[in-house]
Amino acid sequence: MTDGNSGSPGADSETILEFRGVTKSFGGRAPAVRDFTLSVARGQLVVLIGPSGCGKTTTLRMVNRLIEPSSGSIWLEGRDCKTYNPVELRRRLGYVIQRIGLMPHLTIGDNITFVLRLLGQPPAARRDRAAELLEMVGLDPAEYLDRYPAELSGGQQQRIGVLRALAHDPDIILMDEPFGALDPLMREQLQEEFKRLLRTVSKTIVFVTHDMDEALSMADIIVLMKDGEIVQVAPPEEMLRHPADEFVASFMGRHRVLRQASEVSVADVMIASPVMTSASNGLARSLELMRRRRVSSLLVQDSQGRYAGVVRQSELQDHIEAGDQSPVGTLADRTVATLAPSDSGLTAMHQLLSHQQVDSLPVLDADDRIVGLVTRGTLVGLLGDALRVARGVQDVNLAESDRALAGEVAR
Amino acid sequence: MTLLLHTYQFFTQHPGTIWRHTLQQLYLVAIPLAAAILVAVPLTMLATRVRRLYGPVMGFANAMQTIPSLALLALMIAIGLGIGVLPAVLALFLYALMPIVRNTYVGIMGVDPGVKDAARGMGVTSWQLLWMIEMPLALHVIIAGIRSALVATIGFATLASLIGAGGLGSLIMEGMGLASNSIVLAGTIPAIVLAFLAEGLMGRVERVLTPRGLRA
Repeated sequence: MTDGNSGSPGADSETILEFRGVTKSFGGRAPAVRDFTLSVARGQLVVLIGPSGCGKTTTLRMVNRLIEPSSGSIWLEGRDCKTYNPVELRRRLGYVIQRIGLMPHLTIGDNITFVLRLLGQPPAARRDRAAELLEMVGLDPAEYLDRYPAELSGGQQQRIGVLRALAHDPDIILMDEPFGALDPLMREQLQEEFKRLLRTVSKTIVFVTHDMDEALSMADIIVLMKDGEIVQVAPPEEMLRHPADEFVASFMGRHRVLRQASEVSVADVMIASPVMTSASNGLARSLELMRRRRVSSLLVQDSQGRYAGVVRQSELQDHIEAGDQSPVGTLADRTVATLAPSDSGLTAMHQLLSHQQVDSLPVLDADDRIVGLVTRGTLVGLLGDALRVARGVQDVNLAESDRALAGEVAR
Repeated sequence: MTLLLHTYQFFTQHPGTIWRHTLQQLYLVAIPLAAAILVAVPLTMLATRVRRLYGPVMGFANAMQTIPSLALLALMIAIGLGIGVLPAVLALFLYALMPIVRNTYVGIMGVDPGVKDAARGMGVTSWQLLWMIEMPLALHVIIAGIRSALVATIGFATLASLIGAGGLGSLIMEGMGLASNSIVLAGTIPAIVLAFLAEGLMGRVERVLTPRGLRA
């Protein structure tokens, strides 16, 4: 093997795994993976994601040579994988699959240290290692070491499946939809646990999933694939903000909407100059202000300029008809939920959706002063913008859209 | 009652005869069955690796068991093997193949593909896959196949006396020739006991060889 004139991929010391123009075709059909080129830095968690049949699993299985590339090469720590004996190569890697695949005839302890057994480690050392790993995920070795896989729940089985991939301390772990067969609650639990585990043992992970939630929560780098080709390689944040094309945008769809709403703060979207009245103002005068500004409720300020509550048009009218002479402050409703400028747009949505009787929420600063108002209109604007972005139609400018909205309300 | 008494008397008066026939019967079962295991298990393992072997192997074994047993014995004579122990052993061997081939194949192919994928991904060689994964997991299925082959062979072996191979069958034939029901029973009872013993023993073996993790 010479890598002189082709330029050694190992030249970059950070690169641990590199795909160079890897193509795989099965029979006469269109290639399952086409010209796949990617560098993985040491310690990164790279997620391969895409619709089913996009070639993500094939790509993963070419790393440990369960599938051989038709052309191109894969380099592991500066060495072409082809130059390894496949069996030795696999023993250097960790492997976790959706079907879990624990050996039903072996105890949990023997399952965890299966690769160590292949590598010829003595039983006592293997048992110690298994116990150590079980403790890392909070399972009592005394209870679990000698049990059999069939006695464990699916979630626990996959915990063992993950430990098994860590037992021989490989630099790289390949994971093929490892949590895909678990129920959502268990999946999230194992994701969190795995992330925690990765903080104690630094590993390079190649992770296949079709679940965007999982990709966003786990990935350092997302590789989005379609029809055997890479569509975009980017960190989650960048992929959310700058999808390469319509396909990426639509694949991220729902997540972009939620991400947008959770990233935008209330201060960015609120109406900055809501219609206010003083607590000492009379009822009729306040009603007249509502008519003039075409709003159905008013924010009430006390004499020190602090928030005193909300009055609604219908109540004002009722009291005026009843001949009530008291100032508007007496009618101010203080039970309405309020927001802080730093709250997220998502919080505002939740508050508005869970309080059906109100159609706006006052935004107060730390001193209880009114600094703005978030209305259902604001919410609709936020959602609309997020959706437009999700469809990749245009970049979002929430502040601007909100200014337009504020103008409309105040008109 | 008289029949049982006469049978009992035959047992006590001719223990040597009965023992000799039973021993012959045991040989007639053990030799073909051992040969069938030694041939069928490795051959079928190979067929799980080289898939196109399975059709011919299973087809042949199946055909051998489909031929009526008496016809199979007669066939041995017809193809020039003559009479005696050898053609009988050959016929019994052919007859025992099918359940072993079938169960070995089903047992190995029935190992969870996820387990095999995980094992390969962890770096087992193909021998290790067979010995560390597939065999332990398939063993109780293979034993079940051997068990049915054994029971069938014990039954068939009593017919082997028809081509002069001896065994308990010849005692039964002799009794029928002499119209002596007690002699017939002297052959029949050990044959039945043998079959039940074998069945029970193999059942136990099957349980013992089932990996603990697979026992319900």
